[in-house]
Amino acid sequence: MKHYKILALFFGIITIFSMGCEPDDICPESTPTTPSLIIRFYDILNQDSKKNVFNLKVQGVGNDNPLTDYNVVTKDSIVLPLKTDANTTQYSLHKEYSNTDNIIGGNEDFITINYSTEQVYVSRACGYKTIFKNVTLTINNDGDNWIQSKESINDNQSVEDEKAAHFKLFH
Amino acid sequence: MKKQRILSYFISLFSFLLLGVSLHAQNDSITTTVNDSIKIKLKYGLRIGGDVGKLIRSFTDDDYSGFEVNADYRIKKALYIAGELGIEEKTTITDYLDVTTSGTYLKAGVDYNMYKNWLDMDNMIYSGFRVGAAAFSQNLNSLAVYNTDQYWAPQYASAESQKFNDLTAVWVELIIGIKVELFNNLYLGLNAQLKGLVTETIPNNFANIYIPGFNKTYDSSKIGAGYGYSISYLIPLYKKDKN
Repeated sequence: MKHYKILALFFGIITIFSMGCEPDDICPESTPTTPSLIIRFYDILNQDSKKNVFNLKVQGVGNDNPLTDYNVVTKDSIVLPLKTDANTTQYSLHKEYSNTDNIIGGNEDFITINYSTEQVYVSRACGYKTIFKNVTLTINNDGDNWIQSKESINDNQSVEDEKAAHFKLFH
Repeated sequence: MKKQRILSYFISLFSFLLLGVSLHAQNDSITTTVNDSIKIKLKYGLRIGGDVGKLIRSFTDDDYSGFEVNADYRIKKALYIAGELGIEEKTTITDYLDVTTSGTYLKAGVDYNMYKNWLDMDNMIYSGFRVGAAAFSQNLNSLAVYNTDQYWAPQYASAESQKFNDLTAVWVELIIGIKVELFNNLYLGLNAQLKGLVTETIPNNFANIYIPGFNKTYDSSKIGAGYGYSISYLIPLYKKDKN
């Protein structure tokens, strides 16, 4: 009789164990996976102080929708997802955006981000993430840029995590 | 009067003791002959079998094929040397990975029978210990990059297969199970295994998703689990008294 109890206990442990491990198949939100590009806006006249951009609308070139959370907002930093299946991502940063009777106001600048990608293994549940190396940012010259200059945080900038900003834009 | 009584008491006591001794002596010779006639013999030998569970799964599960040969050899009344040799191929498909693992494994250890058999019955409720080792390879058939932000969808995906060769793993295992003699020398077994990974070759920029013999691996721990259904046949080599 005693042995049956041991047996039941053991099968019980295995059952609980296998149930307890089920969440292992879901990638936890706390796990860092594919990072996005972080840009902070600074004052061109006082390059150490952050400066808000008012009524900013951010939209990827080739995407029909404005970037979620950046549809006419006031921000001093933006987080831009990069295409993992390409080596270039373009964004439109539209300052002081307004739309009255289809007359669009404000100043729209385009930035182009070039990079090379690398796939890095994360875990069984999350699979692989993409990290971005040799990241360069260019402000497309349209003769009337509100973004005056840019600066990468490091030489040979890479985007491997979201712990800190990767580029500074001055305006 | 009193003295006589005491004397007779002693005489009777003494004669009783004498009688008792002689009776005892007689008893002795009888019991030994009786014992001889009901002496129980236990079968000792090599028991060889196969895992039926893995065989059935190979036919029913498209992503799995495998087989295991197991054997045990009785060295003491309740103690067996036991081992398993197996081959497995398993395809693991998640939302982001498609991996095929194939390889062989060997497990060796002991089983201890905790069940007190009645007469000459030969059933087991046992617990066992194993050391297991596997040599295998993994083929990453395809991958899709994980990204919490789906603004640019779909994410990068690759169907280019990548092969990870010469992988090894070593683990320890606790087993609990039963073996029942269905017919003469034919046994049906059922067991559950709890495993702890000791060491493994970690492939470059990847991980071991499945290890033959160890089964599925987990992100958060080095523990694994398994089960087995076996049918085995005992090749009796000699018999020994059960005492």
